[in-house]
Parts: sequence; structure tokens; C-alpha cells
Amino acid sequence: MNTEAMIRLYDISKHYRSDSAALANIDLRIDKGEFVYLTGASGAGKSTLLKLLFCAERPDKGQILIKGRNITRLKSREVPYLRRTIGVVFQDYKLMNSRTIFENVAFPLEVQGKRRIEVGKKVYQALKEVGLEERMSRYPLELSGGEQQRIAIARALVVGPDILLADEPTGNLDINVTLEIMELFKKANARGTTVVLATHSQEMIQRFPRRVLTLEGGALVRDESC
Amino acid sequence: MRQSSFLCIATVGTLTATLTIIALFALVIINLQALTGRWSEDVQVRAYLEKPVRNAQADQLRKRLGSIDGVDEVEFVSREKAYSRMRQRLENADLLDGLSPEVLPVSFDISLASELRSREGVLELLPRIKAVLPNADLRYGQQWLERFESFVQMIYAAATVLGGFLLFATLFIVSNTIRLTLYARKDELEIMALVGATPFFIKAPFLLEGAAQGALGGGLSLGTVYLLYQAFFREGLGSLLFSIGGYEIHFLPASHQLAILGAGVLLGLFGSLSSLRKFVKIG
Repeated sequence: MNTEAMIRLYDISKHYRSDSAALANIDLRIDKGEFVYLTGASGAGKSTLLKLLFCAERPDKGQILIKGRNITRLKSREVPYLRRTIGVVFQDYKLMNSRTIFENVAFPLEVQGKRRIEVGKKVYQALKEVGLEERMSRYPLELSGGEQQRIAIARALVVGPDILLADEPTGNLDINVTLEIMELFKKANARGTTVVLATHSQEMIQRFPRRVLTLEGGALVRDESC
Repeated sequence: MRQSSFLCIATVGTLTATLTIIALFALVIINLQALTGRWSEDVQVRAYLEKPVRNAQADQLRKRLGSIDGVDEVEFVSREKAYSRMRQRLENADLLDGLSPEVLPVSFDISLASELRSREGVLELLPRIKAVLPNADLRYGQQWLERFESFVQMIYAAATVLGGFLLFATLFIVSNTIRLTLYARKDELEIMALVGATPFFIKAPFLLEGAAQGALGGGLSLGTVYLLYQAFFREGLGSLLFSIGGYEIHFLPASHQLAILGAGVLLGLFGSLSSLRKFVKIG
């Protein structure tokens, strides 16, 4: 059993409006290599919590530690370097439609200044993992929704992230594609990546039982381990 | 650039149009400045003496005037010489019939050193001339000189105000056109930031694109102005300037052409930079 903390939240609160909290007094620990579901109704605070983890938002109160580093004190110029250790997958894929599949997956590596030959190898490997290595010269809009999400996962995993955050990654997909996508998350987790997956799909949780954190009105109301 | 060719053309078009106006303005101003510069060479003081002087005395006075610091050249104009000049100027010589040279005063034409060919320069020099010729009536075309200097100052002021206004307006227009380009690509900018791109990594291609568009706009504007110069200015403005000052019109010098190109690059660069600040936000 791994006991090293990957993510720690201490008394985290976030308000978008003064009269209601998006997150309220969250204390949380997620260990390295864990697979955690973040669940709750729409507006419960799942996306906000994920945004705090990759510094798209800053908390109003509390501290967040990633691998022991306090990211609430990060300066703006340090944020890109944190994000290079975190893969993020969204419900709407967020692919660059004017770039090919290869260019989309290669982009996080180019950002890190990797050499072209290394980029080529890693991109091919990542696309092979998601079964789309033969589509690398196509454009995102030429692919189905499920395929686009697999590309987004390949892009998130190509840098070998410590943490994989997914915000409703199967929200727009049918059950068969959902199962394929979940297999990819499981494989990434098996290789040691800590996975935090926000979903309101109870069916998914039942099919792939893992630790479940339930949010209600911005508060963490349940923490159930399977 | 490939995905927003319309906006790219709009940006280059805006830059070309505004830089063309600035370059045209510069072309006219530079030629007028050169013309007025040539006029200033004619500024001189004429000292009319109260009484005629003998040649020896005139020569002595001429030497004393020539030794004044700031005086370039002195010419003694005798009554006969003044009469002959007047005859040359008045083509209808009948007017001078019955008029003898004795009615005309003798004078000295005093040419000034180039740095004193202005109203201030003349006013600085007058007391020194007065010291040599206390009773002389000194004339230096006061009214003409004052008007001429006001005209030059007006040209400078107009150039500064209009040039500044045009540059500011160009920056505003270019910045907003580039903002439209960036707005069309804001999803891409957001994704770049999400996967860990630094602000510089995100901005650099857009800044280069802005600078390239600026250089292209600058080049096109110079080409347009050159065509206009060849087609209209050489004939129209050129012959006008030649007729009033014997001055031949010139195209923008190389330094000014480089300045227009540089202005295009800077406008494209700052236009992109000001827009990028609004779209690229990390953390």
C-alpha cells in the first residue's frame, strides 16, 4: 500500500459569489497512485475543485499541496511548470481543431522543448496506447466524439504526468465508448499515475469501483473507499 | 495565419492604409521643409545709408562690417548699381525715364552666416551692425521673415499633431483588428495554457505574426506612396514647388523609408501585445 500523499487540501474554500460557496472547508488527502471518483450533482463543486488543482482558479482560503509543494503560493510564471506534471481531460475534449492529431498530442512536449525525434516517438507511443496511431495526420473534427476523447487522453498522458484530472470525460459518450475510455484511465493508473475523475455517473462508479468523494453544495459530505 | 486569412488581410490592409497616409504626409512635409530651408538662404540685412559715401570710406565700412562675427559677406551698392538693379527688375524701363540715380540711397547688402539666417539671428546681429552704421536704416524683410517663420512653425506643429494622432489611431485600429484574430483563436490560446505553455511560448508566434504583418503593411504603403509620387506628385506638387522656389521634389529618403517600415513593425508588435494581454491569462 502506497502512503505517500500526492494531493492534500487543507480547509479549502472558494466563492464566486459572496452569498454562496462553490467549495467550503474541504480537507482531503489523495495518495500517490490512487484512483478517486469525485461525484455530486451539477454545481456541487467538482469542476471547481479540479480547477484549483491545476491552478485555473485560486482558493479564497486554505492550502493545497501537490507532492508536498504548496501550489496556492505559486506565482503566475510558475504555473505552466506545475501544469506540465498534470494531465487534464475535459468533457468537450478541448482539442485544437486547426492542428492535426499528431500536432495536438505533440504540443505539450513541444512546450517543454523536447527534441523532435523524442516528440515523434512519444506521440506515436501515446497514440498507439489509445489505438489511434493510424489517424495521426487527420484533424480532430474528422473523428468521432469517442476518438476525440481518446486523443485528449493521449495528449494528457504523453508527458507522463504524476496526476491525471478528468472532468466528466464520458459525459458526451455512449456506454461502449465510456467503457473503452475507462480502460484507458485504468491503464494509466496501473502505471502509477494518480487519477482524479469527476463524474455524476453512478453506473460508471458501480462498474469500476474505486474510492468515491461526494460533494454537495461545495462541501465534502462522503469519502467512501471500495 | 492560415485560419484567419480574412482578418490577416484586414490587419495588413489597415496598416497599409494608415502608413500610406503617414508616408504621404511625411513626403509633403519633407519637401516643404527643404523648400523653406532653401528660402532661408536668402535672408539678409540691407543697410541704407543716410548720406552717400566716397569709395574709400565705403570700402572701409565694408571691411568693418565683414569683420563682424556672424556676417558672411558684404556688398556695397552704389547709387549707380542700385539704379541698374531697379532697371533690371522693372522690365518696363519707361517708368525710370527722367529719374536720375541721385535719388536712390547707397546701401550695404549684408549676407549672414547660415546659423543666423532666422529672425532671432538677425535680431542678434542688428546691434553689431548698428555699432558700425549708427545712422543707417536697417531692413531685413521683418514682416516676410516673421510670416515665413510662422509658416515653418505651423508645418512642424501640424506634422507633430497629425502624425501623433495618426499613429495613435493606427495603433488603436490595428490592436482591435488583431484582437478579432485572437478572439477567433481564443480556444487554442486556452488549450496552450492548459498544457503548460509559458506566456512567452504562447505569445511569440502571435507577436512575430504581428511584426510580419506590420512590415508587410509598411512595405506596401511605401510602394503605394512611390506609385502616387511617380503618378501625381512629381508632376503636380513638383512643378508647384519648382515654380515658387526653384526646388525639385524628392521621394522619401532611405532613413524615412526605414522609419515607415519600423513603424509598421512596431505597430504590429504593440497591437498584438496589447491584445494578447487580454487573452493570455495563466493562473
